[in-house]
Amino acid sequence: MQRTIRTRRLVTGTVALPLAAALLAGCSASAPGEQAQDTAPVIGGTLVYASGDAEPTCLDPHVGGNYPQALVASQYLESLFTKDAAGQIVPWLAESTELSEDGLTRTITLRDGITFHDGSKLTSEAIKANIEHLQNPDTKSSTGYLAVGKVLQVEPVDELTAELQLSAPDNALLESLSMPWSAIQSPDALKRGQAVNCEAPVGTGPFKVESWQHQQAVNLVRYEDYVLPAQDAGRERDTAYLDGITWRFIPEAATRYAALQSGEVHVIDNAQPDTIASAEGAGLGHLDAPRPGASNRIELNSSKAPFDDAAVREAFIRSLDVNAGIDSLFFGTAPRSYSLLSSVEPLGIAQEQLFSPDAAKAAQLLDDAGWGERDAEGYRVKDGQRLSLDFPVSTNQSVPAEQSLFEQIQASAKEAGFEVRIQLLDLSSWYGALAEHKYNMVSAPYTKVGPSVLQVIFHSDSTTPAPSGYFANNAQVTDDELDDLLTRAGQTNDAAEREQLYAQAQRIVLEGHYVLPLYDQQNHFLYGKDVAGMGATTAVSSPIYYDVFLTN
Amino acid sequence: MGTLRWAAGRVGGALVVLWLVATAIFIGVRLIPGDPAEAIMGGPGSQASAEALAAARADYGLDEPLRVQYLMFLGKLLRLDFGTSYALRDPVLGIMGQVLPQTIVLSLLALLLAWVLALVFAAASLRATRVGAVLGNAVEIIAAAVPHFWLGAVLIMVFSSTLGWLPAVDNGTGAGLVLPVLTLALPLAGFLTQLMRDSLSTALASPFSLAARARGDSRLQVFWRHGLRHAALPALGMTGWAFSSLLSGAVVVEAVFARPGLGRALLSAVLSRDIPMVTGIALFSAAIYMVVMALTEGIERALHPAGVDS
Repeated sequence: MQRTIRTRRLVTGTVALPLAAALLAGCSASAPGEQAQDTAPVIGGTLVYASGDAEPTCLDPHVGGNYPQALVASQYLESLFTKDAAGQIVPWLAESTELSEDGLTRTITLRDGITFHDGSKLTSEAIKANIEHLQNPDTKSSTGYLAVGKVLQVEPVDELTAELQLSAPDNALLESLSMPWSAIQSPDALKRGQAVNCEAPVGTGPFKVESWQHQQAVNLVRYEDYVLPAQDAGRERDTAYLDGITWRFIPEAATRYAALQSGEVHVIDNAQPDTIASAEGAGLGHLDAPRPGASNRIELNSSKAPFDDAAVREAFIRSLDVNAGIDSLFFGTAPRSYSLLSSVEPLGIAQEQLFSPDAAKAAQLLDDAGWGERDAEGYRVKDGQRLSLDFPVSTNQSVPAEQSLFEQIQASAKEAGFEVRIQLLDLSSWYGALAEHKYNMVSAPYTKVGPSVLQVIFHSDSTTPAPSGYFANNAQVTDDELDDLLTRAGQTNDAAEREQLYAQAQRIVLEGHYVLPLYDQQNHFLYGKDVAGMGATTAVSSPIYYDVFLTN
Repeated sequence: MGTLRWAAGRVGGALVVLWLVATAIFIGVRLIPGDPAEAIMGGPGSQASAEALAAARADYGLDEPLRVQYLMFLGKLLRLDFGTSYALRDPVLGIMGQVLPQTIVLSLLALLLAWVLALVFAAASLRATRVGAVLGNAVEIIAAAVPHFWLGAVLIMVFSSTLGWLPAVDNGTGAGLVLPVLTLALPLAGFLTQLMRDSLSTALASPFSLAARARGDSRLQVFWRHGLRHAALPALGMTGWAFSSLLSGAVVVEAVFARPGLGRALLSAVLSRDIPMVTGIALFSAAIYMVVMALTEGIERALHPAGVDS
């Protein structure tokens, strides 16, 4: 089933990204599917994976909960649900699920015959233990914790069935449960305490954690009793082809790519645009797996001047031509987005006409808004105040190509009379600047499965800071109609109504010019010529190496 | 007596320096924006609940007043308790113990290679033609000035990507050490060569060398017995400095070549605001620096007691 998911996924990828169609045809992202059919899978061999991310501090993605954890945990943990090619949520460890009439009781029935790496059987007790683990403050979960926020309690009904009582209807619950941050671990293993569990979480996945040599590698080995939670595996045995995976951390992009070129490693992540272009020329494989949730976008802070004026927001957006910059700086690897949502989100709507550059219109809007004068340096002024925009940029989150794009934006905004003040900051300082509202514009990624991410980043509730000072609504959109749409969209049981409500909500944000969408959250992997079967991913686009094998 | 007083002064001074370093670090890490509890909760911008943050603060004593935290911090240091890493949730001392040997091996190999290269180049330059000497001099200066980051990237590009002779990252064989050691050693070798060649040529042209030659010693004998000893002295005096420069170079080299070690641990600790880890490594580096300096000074005293006292 995972294989069908992969093959179809690539097809939808091509349909959903018409701009990328030409690229995809030329790149080898589609090749592994064919290769997997042409070449008989080879059993054995250890794949060496090199991640550019910081080494996780805990291999249990319940703890904290970031993308690097999801990347590695996708090999040894599985979720109750996953996503099919069309972006629909389908059962995985779960076999079926039902919702009560009032939307407050979610019943989940598990597949029979699945065992954890420690030999214990997957039962409804595991659902209870895992959700309680996520909700326990001692776990220090931040991502999975939000995912199960509306679950009041979990009641095991029989060996395989559990009932989840909800505080309010939540139609995003299954999407939330499809993410690795809420994956299912052995209840016995969770009882070992966090220090032990962080070293080697115990799940049901095709690989298990053998050892973790800090600062060197996480060693994964094949789980010999793996049962694929799907009807038709199309294989003699359900177990993975690879003997194991050596999961390394090579922070330097150039070193990582050199190690791939020389065959020391088989797969690398965080591949940068220039490297992707060079790798494709060298015949290496490329997997483009945009992350779900929000698109990468610049959010305009509407809570303070000058972006509290919708006309100034529109003028700013209309004064920019970002397409040329994206094409050249990303070597065509990042198709332009005109949507608030990632291209892998089926409910995303795109409104290209709102973002077409129009210098004359921008100038007119600014003149009308009282920014008609210019100072000696050419910047527009109003009441002696320069039209200045603080733009804190996180060097951790914005790759070099993106930083260059922001500099181009700075240059073209200057022609229109905006002074964009880019500050390159480390992650802590960047979050500090946001918490203190020292920004007029910002680019902040947000990964989450499903359109409910809109609720997270645009509902007025998200302007209230968390205890840490963090808030997700960086555009500071506060709109009663929008709040109402988002709340109803999140609660309805009717799929068509959900889609329509989310579309309306997106239109309000897009037409309010709160956001300048740029491209999907980039997630590129490169792999050697001897690697076949790449393509399957989890719901958050983290690759699974279950189908992968080494050809030599 | 003089030696004892010197040693006591050294130890006392070292303790004061360590205390100052510890205090500076304690204040410095708290001036960085952001909440340390955030760092414990998996990094800045976490969406941790108030309960989770409170639990983290209580676990690490961050809910105490600052002066209480400071005294607790100093008290623990006195007992050589560096605390528990926020990120790795293990005792800092244990983590440093694990990664230290890797950095020591890397640094010592680099130091050794730098010495050998410097000796060879310094000796060779004595025989060089005028053009050769100018050329050699230029190479040394460039080598000494090259940043580790750039050199590492170039070596990887040439020997790993292009020629395919050496691995860019360690693959379990010793081959993975070659490029990192070269990256660390070459700049130091350039510096040491400069230092040695001047004193070597001075020594070989000095009256005692001429006298030895007149006694019938061969050129080689004079070189080994007299020239080298005098040439090595200033370079030896710089070994303390050299070693500390290798430790700071290790931060870059370990990151470029993805090697485990003290430098890489420091880098990731800084990025994740892992205060106990940063504090531990910084104090440890300061201690090492002082030990090496005291040792080299001690050796110099042993060789020329009068010279040091005056």
